[in-house]
Amino acid sequence: MRSFQEFNPIVIAVYFFSVTGVAMFSSYPPFMAVSLLGGIALYLVRNGRRHARSHFFFLLLFLILAAANPLMSHNGVTVLFIMNDNPITLEALLYGINSAAMIIGVLYWFRSFTQIMTSEKLLYVAGALSPKLSLILSMAIRFVPLFNRQSKRVKDTQTAMGLFRDDNVVDDIRGRMRIFSILVTWGLENGIITADSMAARGYGTGRRSQMKRFRFRRSDTALLLTTFTLLGMTVAGVMAGGLTFSFYPAVKYGTPGIIGICGIAAYSLLALLPVIIETEVSIKWRYLRSRI
Amino acid sequence: MIVIKSRKLRSGIKAAVPFIVIPALAVLGSAAFARKRHIIISLAIAAFALLLFAAGFEKKSTGTRRMVIVSVMTALCFAGRFIPFLKPMTALTIITALYLGGEAGFLVGAMSALLSNFYFGQGPWTAFQMLAWGMIGLFAGILSEPLRRNRILLLIYGAAAGVAYSFIMDIWTVLWYAEGFQWNLYFAALGTAIPYTVSYAVSNVLFLALLARPFGEKLERIKIKYGV
Repeated sequence: MRSFQEFNPIVIAVYFFSVTGVAMFSSYPPFMAVSLLGGIALYLVRNGRRHARSHFFFLLLFLILAAANPLMSHNGVTVLFIMNDNPITLEALLYGINSAAMIIGVLYWFRSFTQIMTSEKLLYVAGALSPKLSLILSMAIRFVPLFNRQSKRVKDTQTAMGLFRDDNVVDDIRGRMRIFSILVTWGLENGIITADSMAARGYGTGRRSQMKRFRFRRSDTALLLTTFTLLGMTVAGVMAGGLTFSFYPAVKYGTPGIIGICGIAAYSLLALLPVIIETEVSIKWRYLRSRI
Repeated sequence: MIVIKSRKLRSGIKAAVPFIVIPALAVLGSAAFARKRHIIISLAIAAFALLLFAAGFEKKSTGTRRMVIVSVMTALCFAGRFIPFLKPMTALTIITALYLGGEAGFLVGAMSALLSNFYFGQGPWTAFQMLAWGMIGLFAGILSEPLRRNRILLLIYGAAAGVAYSFIMDIWTVLWYAEGFQWNLYFAALGTAIPYTVSYAVSNVLFLALLARPFGEKLERIKIKYGV
């Protein structure tokens, strides 16, 4: 019993790229609606009622994006009204809403993705692709707090030596520049020492190991297989299920066949998968606690 | 690299990607998808370009010292992106490229884009940002001789890089929003991005003017002292 974020990072990455990939590369409106709903649902399940401001921001962005297309593009046969001698058409408006749903949906998905994929998990994924790049990333992450601490030390020393006064603006700026300069020199030198120390301890002679171990459990395989199966069904639906939808010149859509309906169902399930996992886990927890 | 272990395969990728895969993708994509799915093609090409670089980098026995210096510069870039309005990221990328070569510049640009997006939000645009910043670094490395000698030229390059970054990212915005590329949307996107474009260009020029010389001295000193 693991919540969604505790699965193996590779599985989580594959899942996110599948969901957002379908949303970005097909412009089929039901998929957009499903992806938007799934993205919002996952974000709400994970964060509850917090972040009201970002929901408001997304709503605003949705409206702007939906309105941008009819103002820019005047294709379509159903004219709603004329503005500045340019026709505003229903088709262009619907197209704008569709695009906006896609973009906002993907933005919600990646909000959750950024929360779930911490930098440590990304290093694990990147380490499988390229150990050297992953090393550069992990060292850069480590250097940021290190530089912060060191810059405080330098500042304290400079203040103690009487080289630094913060009540004088010019002096303050000059002092900060000097601290920055000292910090960069120190950072580079310190980096060289780190590198020599790494070389002396045999860096590059074997495979790099991870601080935290991410094992590939049976449930990871299950989630990965489920993701691939549902993705395959969705792609099959797009390819052969008559899931066509065109906005211009007039809205026209084909009736989906059996494969197409299966594809829509598969993508809906795929988009709601993390919410289902989270709900299941929280119900189990409640049940277990109620028995104590 | 764990995925690409054999040397033959790696050099194969290195030869195949720029000369076969990318043109093939562009031609096939434009023929098969009939201007509907340009975003797939552009994302695929961005991913392949990054892969090409990773393959080349992994192969070289890059010294540990050089790698650590690249990560020091990445950390500085990353910290610099938190300054509001004025971003020293591009300037630091260019300076690194001038003194440590185009490859280091590419790495600093691409890696700091990837890293800072953990705080500014990851997304499908990360690949494009990595590529855009990486290319700015790479070209600065290629042009390092004249840029190091001529300060005015360096500042012009900085301003141009800021504008180019905005132009590249707006191609992405348009491709994402609409199917296929539309000029009027592109110009609209460029228009709304003018404040950002100006702030990129101004901060590049400002930070290059302020930092190019002191940073150059420091990197030069490290190079001479430790033979990086």
